[in-house]
Amino acid sequence: MVHVSKSLSTRRRRFARRTAAVAVVGAMVLAACGSDPDAPSTDATSGTGSVSTGSDTALVIARGMDVNSLDPSLAYCDTCQIYMTAVYETLIGLDSSDNQTLVPRLAASWEGNAEQTDFTFTLDPAAKFADGSKVTSADVKFSWERLKGLQGSASYLAGSIETIDATDEGVVKVTLDAANSAFLAQVNSPYLGIINSKMAIANGATLDPATDKAETWFLANSAGSGAFALKAYSAGDELRLSRNDSYWGTPAAFPEVIMKETPTAVTQRQQLEQGAVDIAMQLSADVAAGLDSGDVTVKQVPSFNFVYLALSENAVGGEALTPDVREAIRLALNYDNLIQVTAGGAGQSQPSPIPNGFAGTANLPKPTQDVAKAKALLAAAGVKDVTLDATYPSFNVYGVDFSTAMQQVQTDLKAVGINLELNPVEIAVWADKIGGDGIPVTMLYFAPDHTDSSQYVQYFGMAEGTQWQGWSKTEPSTEQADLLGQAFATQDSVQRAALYEQLATAMIADNVIIPVVNPDLFLASRSDITGMAYSACCNLDLSKLGRA
Amino acid sequence: MPLLLLGIASLVFVVSRLTPADPLVSIVGERNLNNPEVVAAAKARWGLDDTVLVQYSTYMKNLVQGEMGTSFTTRKPVLDDLIDRLPATLELTFTALIGGSIIGIGLGVAAARKHNKFVDHIARFFALIGSSLPAFWSGLLVLYVLYARLGWFPGPGRLEPRSTPPGRITGFYTIDSLLHGNVSLFWEATTHLILPAAVLGWGVVGIVTRLVRASLLDEFSMEYVRVGRAMGLRERTVVNTHAMRNALLPTITIVAFTFAFLLTGAVLTETVFSWPGVGSYAVDASRNLDFPAIIGVTILGGVAFLVTNLITDIAYAFADPRIRLS
Repeated sequence: MVHVSKSLSTRRRRFARRTAAVAVVGAMVLAACGSDPDAPSTDATSGTGSVSTGSDTALVIARGMDVNSLDPSLAYCDTCQIYMTAVYETLIGLDSSDNQTLVPRLAASWEGNAEQTDFTFTLDPAAKFADGSKVTSADVKFSWERLKGLQGSASYLAGSIETIDATDEGVVKVTLDAANSAFLAQVNSPYLGIINSKMAIANGATLDPATDKAETWFLANSAGSGAFALKAYSAGDELRLSRNDSYWGTPAAFPEVIMKETPTAVTQRQQLEQGAVDIAMQLSADVAAGLDSGDVTVKQVPSFNFVYLALSENAVGGEALTPDVREAIRLALNYDNLIQVTAGGAGQSQPSPIPNGFAGTANLPKPTQDVAKAKALLAAAGVKDVTLDATYPSFNVYGVDFSTAMQQVQTDLKAVGINLELNPVEIAVWADKIGGDGIPVTMLYFAPDHTDSSQYVQYFGMAEGTQWQGWSKTEPSTEQADLLGQAFATQDSVQRAALYEQLATAMIADNVIIPVVNPDLFLASRSDITGMAYSACCNLDLSKLGRA
Repeated sequence: MPLLLLGIASLVFVVSRLTPADPLVSIVGERNLNNPEVVAAAKARWGLDDTVLVQYSTYMKNLVQGEMGTSFTTRKPVLDDLIDRLPATLELTFTALIGGSIIGIGLGVAAARKHNKFVDHIARFFALIGSSLPAFWSGLLVLYVLYARLGWFPGPGRLEPRSTPPGRITGFYTIDSLLHGNVSLFWEATTHLILPAAVLGWGVVGIVTRLVRASLLDEFSMEYVRVGRAMGLRERTVVNTHAMRNALLPTITIVAFTFAFLLTGAVLTETVFSWPGVGSYAVDASRNLDFPAIIGVTILGGVAFLVTNLITDIAYAFADPRIRLS
């Protein structure tokens, strides 16, 4: 027995020594894995770290972040709109009280010629970047030329710019390649924010995608004049902004803003209720229900976002979708029910692809269901028990679950003899299919980049080269191209509204795009948060927020 | 091993390219897919305008030099992304695995010793629930009850949203906060680990309990156990010193491979708990058809399995003297 005990004891010591050796090696490996000073990690939170305390004044927003880039010339997403607005100021701002009136920001004044081809902006002499340097016309020229040159997703907003004269450092003269009365609205888009050109160039920014090397730098740094600057970004975790204490305008109330990756709406609500976060604005109607209490305030506001059905006759398998059949599909849908099912009743129906509230939509009739007429149209077209492929991306956006929406559409269409084969797929699979054979029936969403109706015509209209003219493989419409040209050429708001109404009516008649629901937004915040407002251009303006 | 990893990378590359899907949508967004200038620029920028063969040779050449390419979605080198996210996953996985293994072994031993008695039934039931419950459901449930309703545990994330992470040394918040001497942050990081580790570890408990129980019951029927008992050895000595040693061998294998699986497979737990680890990275990569990130995660999974295999062999030698001698 003594021998056995000794043997065991020896083995245990040996085991302990080996375990300790493994632990030391493991710790060294982990340390090596963790401390990579050259990695372009944006972990700017070096130091001992800090725990949250009751006196913390940072603003925390729970969001499912969709950041594709923090390079101002390449970024294009909902969160990017918030980020760009906070960090990179535009020449012109938008009055959030009416979401229509353009107000001075970096530009103190502006004017355009009658032909809407030349625009002149006079910069505010007080405007300066976060590093203290003055905002000049050279910065504007660089920013817009880079946006156009890098051909990122938002480059179309600068696509009409032909030349920019920056001879006078306080004046920007822009010449467009064609009349564009939407240009001022486009200038208001956060994607046309102004970059500190000297700082950007010093860190690899150029106008050419082949030579530009600044995107990685922009993931960890910012070079704007806004009320905030980038503090740290960790993809999939958080985006931290710190207040620009040398901001040339009214300083922001919060010293720090933290956007925390919180993918699910339910978790956003839980964190808001617990006081762990201050704002959650991606809640669906059912998740937001009952949330408005003493500690939390919920504002239900109309949005300009919408979910739509798209019908393509010329897609493979879509031959049955003749104009009459598409009209029948529009008439077969129960819009009130769709709003109830998809948005819990918190939404509006939308007559045309130009959302309610935009120029040209005031007089459009609301879509209504007429099953008898739909059946008559189908009978006249000789269509009976037709089956169509309905491949759609498995999205849940603005609180609308696409599968739920498509199931309701399927039910409505079955009642008139049209069968849909629902096929939810990932967006990459959907993109491959629609870019190839096309998809007879699908669903997608849209949110505005700026406040002008032209963006909808350029995307949903059937003029040559628009997104949906290409996807639906429809014969280009010269009429719509002419109308859009006329709308671009006039500054007169009444005339523009009339032209966009004609365009909206033409798009309704196309029946390629059928809006299904225009869901309301639920802006939920802790009750002491002030200044919560939805912006058509910019989503949420962080500089306007405060704590009571 | 390097050849095996290259083989895995090649296979994933080919399979990714055969998938009928368009990765451009994650780069330019669906709104620009018909914009020829934007599409051409994106293809050139990301090397997608080359033939698949050229893309493959470029990728493999870079991979051999230690470069995994740049993620379409995060716009950062994949290797940096993995280095950034791996500690979060390792911290969660280690906690879940260690906790789950200890509880699982304890329950397994108790169940075997009290075979077909009340303790055995309870342990098996607990194990069954742990193995059966989907992590997204149990995750949402514990968050709702223990965080949102009762407030007993902290919510999602590695720290409270307002807290500042410790300066990075290992990437493990618990270790780094201690190394920085910040005890309160260490406590916060530790408490944030409890719920996700419990959800992830419950599955481990289920596997380990059943395996230890079954292995021990096998060992109990062996002659050497009967001899030990007949010689008057204490039951604890028979179980812990003799039977357990043999019963642990299959458990080591399972625990090791569970660890390798959890490294890239803790997807649902990471998503529910907003845990910025490799699992959630893998989900984003696959949803966006982010080729470089997908291949990077696959290689990481391959490395994890190979290393785990090696560690399992070494652990076997520790646990079984016959292997050491042979």
